[in-house]
Amino acid sequence: MTARFTKFGFDEKERFMLFLIAPAAIVLACFEIIPILIGMNASFREWSLVNPQRTWVGPKQYIAVFTDPVFLKMVLPNTFVLTIVSVGVSLALGLALASLLNRPFFGRAVVRTIILLPLTIAPVITATMMRWSFNDQFGVITIFLSYLGLPDVAWLSDRWPSFALIIITDIWIWTPWFTIILLAAMQGLPPEPFEAARIDAATPWCIFRRVTLPMLRPVIIVCVLIRAIDAFRTFDQVWILTGGGPARSTEVFSVYAYVLAFVDLDIGRAAAAAGIGALIMLFVGVGLYRLVNRSMEVS
Amino acid sequence: MAEVILQDVVKKYGTFKVVHEVNLNIAAGEFVVLVGPSGCGKSTTLRMIAGLENISAGTIRIGDKVVNDLPPKDRDIAMVFQNYALYQHMTVFDNLAFGLRNRKVPETEIRSEVTRATQMLGLEPLLARKPFQLSGGQQQRVALGRCIVRRPQVFLFDEPLSNLDAKLRAQMRIEIKALRERVPTTSVYVTHDQVEAMTLGDRVVVMKDGWIQQIGTPLQIYNRPANRFVASFIGAPAMNFIGVELVEELGVMSAHAKDFKVELSLDQAAVLRKHGAKTVTLGIRPEHVRLGTPTNNTGSSFTGVVNVTEQLGSELVIALNVGGSTIMASRISPETEVSPHARVQMWVDGKELQLFDDKTEIAIR
Repeated sequence: MTARFTKFGFDEKERFMLFLIAPAAIVLACFEIIPILIGMNASFREWSLVNPQRTWVGPKQYIAVFTDPVFLKMVLPNTFVLTIVSVGVSLALGLALASLLNRPFFGRAVVRTIILLPLTIAPVITATMMRWSFNDQFGVITIFLSYLGLPDVAWLSDRWPSFALIIITDIWIWTPWFTIILLAAMQGLPPEPFEAARIDAATPWCIFRRVTLPMLRPVIIVCVLIRAIDAFRTFDQVWILTGGGPARSTEVFSVYAYVLAFVDLDIGRAAAAAGIGALIMLFVGVGLYRLVNRSMEVS
Repeated sequence: MAEVILQDVVKKYGTFKVVHEVNLNIAAGEFVVLVGPSGCGKSTTLRMIAGLENISAGTIRIGDKVVNDLPPKDRDIAMVFQNYALYQHMTVFDNLAFGLRNRKVPETEIRSEVTRATQMLGLEPLLARKPFQLSGGQQQRVALGRCIVRRPQVFLFDEPLSNLDAKLRAQMRIEIKALRERVPTTSVYVTHDQVEAMTLGDRVVVMKDGWIQQIGTPLQIYNRPANRFVASFIGAPAMNFIGVELVEELGVMSAHAKDFKVELSLDQAAVLRKHGAKTVTLGIRPEHVRLGTPTNNTGSSFTGVVNVTEQLGSELVIALNVGGSTIMASRISPETEVSPHARVQMWVDGKELQLFDDKTEIAIR
């Protein structure tokens, strides 16, 4: 047998594999790795677009971000609250809707299509729709709520109503995503454990809690992992609905970095903020990933 | 322990009837096996008893209670599934205790019931493990334990050994049989494996296309099959069938086919005269086809060409070509030297033959 190695040490099969990988690797290098390296470099420099000296300043930008009261008192809490509440509520609603759609009833296909509709609309459009719907003077929902006799709420003028609207929009967009994935997972579960539970005198709630949920656990964790990372970098809904206002009170991570980079034109500080965000996401991601692995092993 | 009575039980999916008017009385403590090929309605019948499928018509009674509209939990049954149906995220102990906890049984009683079941099944060292850490046989034992702890009126088994390999299946069969002695409970067992049916059942119910073909003890089913289907389904290798013409000469009736002639007994002749058919199907168990010349005066010999031989160690199985028909002969001494294409002399005893109507396929008796 003749070993056909080139001077680079790759045989024909390995060269073919490299050839297949090359396009993706080039794209990844050009649009991910190199920009990350440039960004990391920028985060250690004074790099204002107004006066691009690119002076090496060490960790100064990181310290500035960490000592910025807006970052500590608004951006970080907002980002975490948005992530936790949006993911938590979307998951709960998604589970409820998936359980409902998993039962046969008349018109199930129609209901399933309707539930999926928000997912088919671009988040920017959904956010615009929400903004108009909750408009203080002529928003349909505002009018409807006042018709019900509820007190008027200045949805987009105060911090918490504005932030609640951001969360509601995010939940509105992402609940169908949870629903469809969990429904597919539910339909893939073997029927026998559920039949055994019925014979074992388990109530529907007990079956859901003690049989369905544990069996769905790996899928739930993967969904939460993907969605949590995505929620952490939410930008479009916030930008369209409030632009981070009023008075920067609804700013989240992406908006904070965006404002630094493209409003204040401070690329160095923005890169440091983005770097901190990436690190937080990395820690959260690794933690959740370990959970996924453990639950996959159990399953 | 309770009796189970099925009266005219029907199952329809839309307009399609999958189980036809099943009538079956299972005595308290009896072990009944439902056997048949895939799609014969045996599992559906079992699931109707369990309450996992609604019945379309008829009555199901467990003990003195009509259970037609009762949910599974109120029927006082326990079920073992083909793929174990264990709760993978719970330990063996929690799997066993789940049903009792749902029924609000005190924890001390749960512990004693679980201990009793685990001792019986040798599961004590596995109590803290989760099902995915167990072998198939151990998982099925846990599934059996889940039934035992409940002390139900009826055990239902839905092909519980089908997922196990041949060796483990034989071992578990013995364990189930031994368990029957220790936990005498009315049991309904579904299988497509005739060996399980014959070895486990007090009575066997053979089903086909949703119809019960025959109900009887394993020996009745084997020795006196009600029709050609039952005769072919039970027994391995399967029964040989030959279309024969009946000829009566000087008061002696014989069955003729190409290169094949066998003299029938006086009793068989009388039955056939009454039946009136000129042609019938003859059924011969392979173990009743013997090598050599007849050793009694009711035997008839014929010759055939050896097609294939199968050496099983304990016996030799021969496939013969007799006038264009294939006849299997089993339980031939494994030391016998038979070469393919050789012409050999065989014989059958007229008293051991089964006779079936050509058109209805029902046994002629």
